[in-house]
Amino acid sequence: MDFHFTEEQNILRKTARDFLETECPSSFVLEMEADEKGYTEKMWQKMADLGWIALIIPEEYGGVGGGLLDLVVMMEEMGRACLPSPYFSSIVLGAITIIEAGNGEQKESFLPKIATGDLKLTLAHLEPCTTKYDPRLVEAEALPKEENYVINGTKLFVPDAHVADYIICVAKTRDQKDSKNSLTLFLVESSASGLEIVPLKNIAGSKEFEVSFNNVMVSKKDILGSVNEGASYLDKVLQIATVCKCSEMVGAAQKVLEMASSYAKEREQFGKPIGSFQAVQHHCANMLIAIEGSRYITYKTAWMLDKRIPCKKEVSVTKAWVSESYKEVVRLGHQVQGATAYMIEHDMPLYSRRAKVAEMVFGDANYHRQVVADELGL
Amino acid sequence: MDFGYSEKEEEFRRRLCKFLDENLTEEIARQNWEDKGVGPEAREFSRKLAANGFLGMSWPKEYGGKGLSPIYDFILLDELGKRWGAHVPLDVGYTMVGPTILRRGSEKLKKEFLPKIIAGEIEFCLGYTEPNAGSDLASMKMRAEDKGDYFLINGQKTFNTECHYAEYHWLAARTDFDPEKPKHKGISLFIVDLDSPGITVRPLITMSGERTNEVYYDDVKVPRERMVGEKNKGFYYMMEAIASERNQVFIPMRLYPILQELISYAKNTKYNGKPLASDPVIRDKLAQAAIELEVACVLADHSRWLESNELPMTYEPEVTKIFTSELEQRLIDIGIQILGLYGPLTEESKWAPLRGRIAWYYLHSFMTTIGAGTSEIGRSVIAQRGLGLPRSY
Repeated sequence: MDFHFTEEQNILRKTARDFLETECPSSFVLEMEADEKGYTEKMWQKMADLGWIALIIPEEYGGVGGGLLDLVVMMEEMGRACLPSPYFSSIVLGAITIIEAGNGEQKESFLPKIATGDLKLTLAHLEPCTTKYDPRLVEAEALPKEENYVINGTKLFVPDAHVADYIICVAKTRDQKDSKNSLTLFLVESSASGLEIVPLKNIAGSKEFEVSFNNVMVSKKDILGSVNEGASYLDKVLQIATVCKCSEMVGAAQKVLEMASSYAKEREQFGKPIGSFQAVQHHCANMLIAIEGSRYITYKTAWMLDKRIPCKKEVSVTKAWVSESYKEVVRLGHQVQGATAYMIEHDMPLYSRRAKVAEMVFGDANYHRQVVADELGL
Repeated sequence: MDFGYSEKEEEFRRRLCKFLDENLTEEIARQNWEDKGVGPEAREFSRKLAANGFLGMSWPKEYGGKGLSPIYDFILLDELGKRWGAHVPLDVGYTMVGPTILRRGSEKLKKEFLPKIIAGEIEFCLGYTEPNAGSDLASMKMRAEDKGDYFLINGQKTFNTECHYAEYHWLAARTDFDPEKPKHKGISLFIVDLDSPGITVRPLITMSGERTNEVYYDDVKVPRERMVGEKNKGFYYMMEAIASERNQVFIPMRLYPILQELISYAKNTKYNGKPLASDPVIRDKLAQAAIELEVACVLADHSRWLESNELPMTYEPEVTKIFTSELEQRLIDIGIQILGLYGPLTEESKWAPLRGRIAWYYLHSFMTTIGAGTSEIGRSVIAQRGLGLPRSY
């Protein structure tokens, strides 16, 4: 048992904290929300120079060769700063899918360019039929035609599709009810003809899109992993992505707690700091309790994933808990900071707006409780 | 980061599990931890546990321990918890008194008491709470007058749970009566033989059937050598012991058998021809309980890791205590909902499910958020010591 981060991980955290505090103030976050592109090349390049983009890419492909716990540290700090960037889509959803499912040639041609920040990826898997979260529900079809496949279908909630060079599309390649052996992953160039990208605006101001595939032609060589085996790669990538999302939420929740408790120390009413009133103290304590549990369950599950210990239940335990906890943390954070934090210029809405999207992404608590119930044998 | 156990630790766990499966019955568990009270079977189990080398793993060798990491003690607690045992048998001596004697006691006290505690032979009863000193413990009134080679003690304690079977009272009493001095700077700790003349122990019965006691001291003489550490430092000693006490008494794993029994009840009980476990509401509730138990365990792992590595603990064990005790109430609530009308049946009833354990736990669960410090005091501790908010009282 050891809850220490390594010296390198502590340095990574400190560097990220310092850099983002200077380079990513809330004014920048708000500016990027309004911006169509949603990030700056200058910032992206600086992130590449710091080695963040190459962090988890294996050394043989020009990366740093970091592990999942390094990525957890990075995501916590990015969540804390509400960093606007295509990092999650390109690295967590893109690079990790290539690492998990790609063949040698694909890794060789994609990973070094992703590592330098020159190439961006994203993942398209959810669809209009997903009226309730279910990553296995796929209707988009890919039909073989000579040396190619032809993809038809509509994908929703695709992050950063407007700036991705490639979109990894999950499509059905076999007509059967059980998706376990009927899905395939395709690497689709975003400039491919028949591909249409339409923005979806959400309360977090994050960039997500509807991506339609109308007879989009993809070469067989651009299949990631084996045909019909897509679901197994997807499961693994989504487990990692879910834990990364939880790490972002933990980092953000910690910042909310710090804002609320420092406000409680400074703000005076009835001649005393409001933090000396037990009602306010207990709100703050409840935030801390929610965050401590979220943090350590996230670390534990990341450790299990990193060690490749099967942890389907733990991933769902983590997302269910962190989703509910972070929701409670922003509710209490608002309550403690009162009307002033309800103003649009205040930092608090940056977090409460993102918390709701993060709660839903990769399955909310209701979804994950059902997975846990299955794993308990119920 | 490492959330695993070493091979040596796993080997200890395997040996321990075998021993517990053969020796720890539900009857003994209930004598130790529930309404029945410590009887001859529980005493024998305690001695056997010690004789087989499972007690005192982390205690110094010179007093009968093995000088290893506290992680072994925590493994013991988890395995007891999984079998309806909420803590080490005779736990006041083992988890609260012993460590303080080790830190603050004279060599004479160490030699006299520690080997017997590790041998599972003696028990203490905490003597802290008074009728007018509950959450505000430092305002206790029990008087211990310094008479040179002895102290003369008078006053009343209440909710002192183990006094009717323990050999010793671990007594906190006032030794400085100056009203101008801060209240917490005038308290000392004593080890008192409970058969001393002048002590009267009267039963108080709780709503879950456990016996606790009120204790009266009428001119009780306690030898000076039975004072622990320095005079007037007792309150500090109590506070420095509290984090480790929390780690050892409020263990999440004691909720594990409740959850397991509810899961198996839901799988094996039918409604309209289908198992209750196929009902989405029941699935959701049990999953939520399982999620919270996993979170409680990792919170406990964190505070235990701090303790095992002698890192400072401020608010962390408080977080685990609050979380686990409140989880107990939520879990029991879910349990009764699943059992429905059968839930409140007591163990004597023909139709009582799960041997009436859930009904008993319902009654008991009101105590856990109050005993050893209320959730409200705990939250203020977290806010003030964990977040640096100003004092509220």
